[in-house]
Amino acid sequence: MTAYIVRRLWQMIPTMLGVVVLVFVLFNWVGGDPAYVLAGKISNQEQIDNIRRQLGVDQPYYVQLGIFLKQIVTADFGASWSTNERVSHILLTRLGPSLTVLVPLTILSTLISIGLALAVAYVRGSLTDRLVMIVCTVGLSISILVYIIVFQYVFAYKLGWFPVQGWGDGFAQNLFVYASLPILIGLVVSIAPDLRLYRTFVLDEINQDYVRTARAKGLSENRIMWIHVLRNASIPIITNLMAGLPGLLLGSFLIERFFSIPGIGREVILAVERSDFPVIKAITVYVAFATILTNLLADLTYKAVDPRVQLK
Amino acid sequence: MATHAAALNERRAPTAREVPHAVSPGLWTLAWRRLRADRVGMVSLVIVAAFIVMMILSASGLIAADWNREVGINYAPPSFLAGDVPAGAPAAPGASTPLATESAQPASQYKSNIVDPIGDVIAKLKGGKSEKGESQPGAAAPASSSAPAAAESSDESVDPLAAVMADIRAGKGVGAEAKPVERKATLPFGGDKWGRDVLKKTIKGSETSIFVGLAAAALATFLGTVFGALAGYFGKWVDDAFNWFYSVFSSIPYLLLILAVAAVLQQKGIMTIVLILGLTGWAGTFRLMRAEYLKHKAREYVQAADAIGASSTRRMFIHIFPNVSHVVLVQMSIYTVGFIKAEVILSFLGFGVPVDVVSWGSMLNEAQNELILGKWWQLVAAGTAMAVLVTAFSLFTDALRDALDPKLKGRVGA
Amino acid sequence: MRGWIAIVFSAALVCVSPHAPAADMTKVVRQVFPAAETGFDPAGVQDLYSATIEQALFETLLTYDYLARPSKLVPLTAESLPAITDNGKTYTLHVKKGIYFIDDPVFKVRKRELTAADYAYSLKRLIDPKIRSPWAWLVEGKIVGLDELAGQAKKTGKFDYDAKIPGLETPDRYTLVIRLKDTDYNLSYILAHEPTSAVAREVIEAYADTAGRAMANPVGTGAYRLQQWVRSSRVVLEANPGYRGFTWDFTSSDPADQKLIAEMKGKKMPQVGRVEVSIIEEDQARLLAFQSGELDLMDLGGPLAPNVLDAGKLKPEFAKKGIKLSRIIDPAIIYHYWNLQDPIVGGMSKDKIALRRAMAMAYNVDEEVKVVRNDQAIEAQYPIPPGVVGYDASYRSPVEHDVATANKLLDAFGYKKGADGWRNLPDGKPFTIRYASRPDSLGRQQDELWKKALDSIGIRMEVQKDKFPELLKLERQCKLMMRTASWIADWPDAENFMQLLYGPNTGQNNNACARIPEYDKLYEQSLRIPPGPARDKLYHEMTKIIEAYAPWRLDVLTYRNMLVSPRVEGYRKHPILHNEWAYIDIAPKGRGAAPATGSRGTPD
Repeated sequence: MTAYIVRRLWQMIPTMLGVVVLVFVLFNWVGGDPAYVLAGKISNQEQIDNIRRQLGVDQPYYVQLGIFLKQIVTADFGASWSTNERVSHILLTRLGPSLTVLVPLTILSTLISIGLALAVAYVRGSLTDRLVMIVCTVGLSISILVYIIVFQYVFAYKLGWFPVQGWGDGFAQNLFVYASLPILIGLVVSIAPDLRLYRTFVLDEINQDYVRTARAKGLSENRIMWIHVLRNASIPIITNLMAGLPGLLLGSFLIERFFSIPGIGREVILAVERSDFPVIKAITVYVAFATILTNLLADLTYKAVDPRVQLK
Repeated sequence: MATHAAALNERRAPTAREVPHAVSPGLWTLAWRRLRADRVGMVSLVIVAAFIVMMILSASGLIAADWNREVGINYAPPSFLAGDVPAGAPAAPGASTPLATESAQPASQYKSNIVDPIGDVIAKLKGGKSEKGESQPGAAAPASSSAPAAAESSDESVDPLAAVMADIRAGKGVGAEAKPVERKATLPFGGDKWGRDVLKKTIKGSETSIFVGLAAAALATFLGTVFGALAGYFGKWVDDAFNWFYSVFSSIPYLLLILAVAAVLQQKGIMTIVLILGLTGWAGTFRLMRAEYLKHKAREYVQAADAIGASSTRRMFIHIFPNVSHVVLVQMSIYTVGFIKAEVILSFLGFGVPVDVVSWGSMLNEAQNELILGKWWQLVAAGTAMAVLVTAFSLFTDALRDALDPKLKGRVGA
Repeated sequence: MRGWIAIVFSAALVCVSPHAPAADMTKVVRQVFPAAETGFDPAGVQDLYSATIEQALFETLLTYDYLARPSKLVPLTAESLPAITDNGKTYTLHVKKGIYFIDDPVFKVRKRELTAADYAYSLKRLIDPKIRSPWAWLVEGKIVGLDELAGQAKKTGKFDYDAKIPGLETPDRYTLVIRLKDTDYNLSYILAHEPTSAVAREVIEAYADTAGRAMANPVGTGAYRLQQWVRSSRVVLEANPGYRGFTWDFTSSDPADQKLIAEMKGKKMPQVGRVEVSIIEEDQARLLAFQSGELDLMDLGGPLAPNVLDAGKLKPEFAKKGIKLSRIIDPAIIYHYWNLQDPIVGGMSKDKIALRRAMAMAYNVDEEVKVVRNDQAIEAQYPIPPGVVGYDASYRSPVEHDVATANKLLDAFGYKKGADGWRNLPDGKPFTIRYASRPDSLGRQQDELWKKALDSIGIRMEVQKDKFPELLKLERQCKLMMRTASWIADWPDAENFMQLLYGPNTGQNNNACARIPEYDKLYEQSLRIPPGPARDKLYHEMTKIIEAYAPWRLDVLTYRNMLVSPRVEGYRKHPILHNEWAYIDIAPKGRGAAPATGSRGTPD
C-alpha cells in the first residue's frame, strides 16, 4: 500500500511537468500581451517596453519557464498583472464563495440522487422507472444557460422567492439567501445525470451473487437495498464524485456570473479576458494538482473499501 | 454518424434473411433486431432521423435557405399571438434627438481650402453632367492629378472623389431605390431582433449544431480510438507515453483548455468549433479503447492473425477494430449529445459560430436578453429544438447500447 | 482587518471631530457596475469603475460644477481656479488650508494636512517608470524638468522624488507652481482628472506593492473612505467623518433642474452615509436586480433599454413607481477606422480612398442605432461629441448610407466583380476585408452589420475575433485592417478627440495609423490657439479631411441612461464626473415616492 502511494506520488511529477509545459506553451502562445492594455490609452513604445520588462515577459522563454517552475515550488505566483493583488490572496478570497455553493450542492445532489437511484432501482423495469429515466434524459437535454435565464427570471424576479443576485458578508446569509437559487439550479442540472449513473451502479450490485444470497437468507428487501446494495454501490459513487470535484470549481462559472458570486469560475473568465497570466497559471496548476490528488484518493478509497480491487 | 451505421444495417438485415445458408446472424443483425424491438429507441431513432433529414434539406438549400432575409418587423411576434400584440409593436425610434431634427445644412459654415485628392471624380459622379459609362472612371480616376477639378466643387473642394460621386448620384435615381420591402408584422414563430424568421433560423441552426456535434464527436472518438488502440495494443513505453499525455490533458481544467485552444485556433469558422471540441474531448474514449485493446490483444483471433503475418496496423484496425466498434459507436453517440450542448457554452464565451452562420448556441445567446424584454420565442424555439433532439439522441444512444451489448440491458448513463 | 481598524478610528473620530458630519450612516445608496474594478491608486488604474470609486476617495485640485452644462471647472481643494500666466505656460494654484487626509496608522501625527507638495508628488508619480502608470501621457513632455527626472530614474532605477525641478515648485506649504514647456490651455482639465488626485507620500511608501502602487489602501481627503472591498464583487464606502463638507448651492438655467434644486438647496453635504457598489456582469441579472429594488443607481446599457424606455422616456410602469431617469449623451464618439497602412484598405491613392468611402457609405448607421443600440444612440455627425468644447451642433456630415453610390464608386475605380460574384481589386486580385472585433454580443452584432454592409457592395468579409488585449496590441502595431473603436473624453475639450488622427500619435492612440500631412499641420496649428471660433474653423477643416480621405467612418454617439430609484433625490448624471454620491440625498422613508424595495415590477 505504502509502496503504491509512493509510486503514485512519484508519478505525479512527470504529469505536473506536462501540465506546466502545456499551460506555458498554450498561454504564452495565445495569452496576449497585456502590456498594451496596462500602458494606458496613450502610450509609447518605451513605456510598453518598460512594462514588459517589469512583468518579465521580455525574458527568453526558458527563463520564464524557469520562473514558473520556481513559483510552483514556492507556491508563490506573485501578483496579478492587472490589479497587482497577490495571486494567493485572489485564490483564497474566491475559494470561499465557490465552496459555499458547491459543497451544499454536491452533498444535496449526491444524497437526492442516491435516494432516487435506490428507489427507481427498486422498481426497475416498471413504468415509473422508465418515466423517471425519460424525465432525466429530457432534463439533461436542456442547456444550463436556459435553466439559469429562466429560473432567475421566474423564481427570483417574477415570484420573488430569492434575491435576483448578490453576495453578502455573513456565511449564513450567503448560504441561505444568496446561494439558494444557484444551488437549486445546480441541483436540477446535476441530479439528472447523477441519477442515471447511480442507477446503473445500483443495478450492477443488485445483480450480484451476494444479493441473491441475502435474499435466500430471508433478509428484508429494505435491508438489502439500504445496507448491502448501498454500501457496495457507494464505492463507484464516491470515486465518481471525487473525480468530478475539481472540475466543478471552474465549471460553475455561468452560475457565478449570472448571480454575481465572487467565485473562482468568474475569476478565471475575468483573468482570461484581462490576459492576467499569473492568475491563470496559478489556477491551472492548483486545479491540476487537485485533480491528480483526488484521482489518487479515489483509487485509495476504492482499495480501502473494496479489498478485491487490485492496484497496479 | 451513428444513424448512418444504423441505416447501413437496415440494408444489411434483409440480406441476412434472404441468404438461407447464412450461418448465424452477426453482431449487427442481432443488434438491429433488438433495437427494433425497443419502442422508445425506435421513436427516438425516427426523431433523430427527422432532424437529420431536416439538416440535409437545409444544407442542400431546399429549406430555410433564406433564413438571413429580414422578412418581418424587428421582434415580430409569433402569428399565434397576433391578437395579443398591439399593432404598432416596434415603437418608432425618435428618442427626440435635438441633433437630428434640424434640417440638413451645408456641411460646414467655414469656407474650406482642403484639397480633396479625388474630389473631381466624386463631383462628376454627383453632377452627372459629364459623360457616363465605362470610359469615364478609367479616365477620371488614375489620370487626374492631385489638382482638383475645382470648377464643380465649390464647397466640396476637400473631397478627392467629389466628381465621381456627383456623377454617380445623378445617374442613380431610377433603379436602385424604389422597392421598399414589405415587412410582415408577425411570423409563424416570431422574428428576431433584425426581423428574421425564428423558425427558419431554428431549422438552419439545426444544420450547424448537428454538424458540429457529429463532426466533433467523430474527431474526438477518432483521436481517442487511435490513441487508445496504440496504447493498448503496443503497451510498454507507448502505453506509458499515451497515459502520461492523457493524465496531463485531463488534469488541466476543461474550461481553461477550451479557452486556450479556442485562442490558439482563432476564429475561422465552424471547423474551429469542431476542432476545439474534438481536440479537447478525446480523453474518455481513450481510456475505454485502451482497455478494450488490452483485452483483445491477448485473444486467440489476434494471435491467429499474428501467425498469418498480419502487420500491427492490420491487426489493430482490420482485426480488432470491428470487435470493439460498438463501443466506439456508443461513445460517439454520447459525445454528439455532449458537444451539441457544449456549443452553447462556447457561444456564451464568444467562440461560437461565425457571423453569417446561425446555430442553436448563437440563438440562445442572442435570446439571453430577450426574455426580460418579453420576447421569449427565440429562446423557446432554440431551446425546445435542442431539447427534443438531444433527448431523442440520448434515448437512442441508450437503446443502441442495449442493443449492442445486451448484458447491459436496462442500464443507462455512464 | 482594515475594516476593524477603520471602525476603531471612526469611533474615536466621531467623538472629537470638530466637523459635525452631515452624512447620515443610515442613508445608503446602492449602485451597480457592469464590470470589475481593479484597484484604488490614482496613478495605477485606468478603468472607469476604479476611477468612479477613486473620485469619492481622493480629491483633485479642480473639479466640475455639478449642474453647469457644458461642464464648467470649479476649484475643489484649490482656493480658486489657477492663475494662468506666461502665455499659458505657468499655472499657479493655492491649496485650501485645513484639509486633512483620513486617519491612517501610517501617519505619525494625528491629523495629516493636505499640502501643495502632495500634489507635486502625485504628479511626479505619474511618470515614475517603476509605477508604469497608464496616465504618464498626462504629464509626459509637458512639465519643465519632469521628463529629465524620469530619464534619470530609468538609469538609476529609482525615481528621485526629492529632486527640485523648475516645473513643479512649492514656494510655500500651500502654493503649487507648474511650469510648462509649451503653451497648453488644457492643463486645468488635467488638474481635474482623477489620476492627478492627491495621495500622501508616506502612505504610498508604506503600502506600496512591487510596482510602487498602493492599490488596496486608499488614503485620501475625499468625502468617502473605503470600508469594505470584496474584489470584483462589492465595494462599500462610508462617509469620511473628517470631511470638511459643503453646502449644496448649485444653479442651473435648465427648467428640468429646478425641482432638484428646490429639493437640495441649502443642505449640508454629503448626506449619503454609505455607498454600496456591486459588480454584476450579466445584463439580465442587473436589470432584474434593479427592478426588484436591490439597487438605486444603474447605468442602463443599450441591450436593456427597450425594456425600460420608450422613445427616450421611462415606460409608464416605471415612471408610476417613482423611478427616475437621468439621460445624457456621452461625451464620447464611436467610430470605425481603417488602417491607413494596410496594403488593401490603406494608402492615399484615389482607388484606396474610393474603397474606404464605398465601405463607409455601405454601412447603415441607422440600423445600428435602431437594432444594435436599441435607439440609445444617434448618428455622429462631427468628430467632437456634445458637451465638449468645440462641438458644433449644426454640423451635418455628408457621409450617408447610400449603397447604390457605393457600388458605382467601386465600379468607377475598377473593383470589378469576379465570377464568384465578389469584387476584386483593380489589378484583378481577389481580396477580403478583415473586420476585427471582440468576442462579445455587441461585437457580434457589429460583425453582422458590417457583413450586411459589405455584402451589399459585393465585398468579401471575414471577422477577426480576439480578446481586447490582443486586438489592442495588433492595433498599436498597425496590423489590424479595420475595427470599431470608441473614445470617451478625458476632459471636455476638442483637442482630446482631434489628436486621435494626428500622425505622430500612430502606435499610440491614432488607431487608424493615419499620417495625413494636411491634417497634422492643421492639428499643430490648433494647439497654439485658445478655444474659440478660430480654433473651431481649423477643426472644421480637419473634419473635412476625415470625410474626404475616410480613415474613419463616424458611427454613433451613445446615450447614457442612469436609472434612479425613487429614494434618491438630487441626482443628475454629470458627463465628466464619474460619481455623484456627494451631491445627492436619500429620501427618508415615507417621503417622496414609495421605496422600491418589495414592490416588484411586472414588465409586460
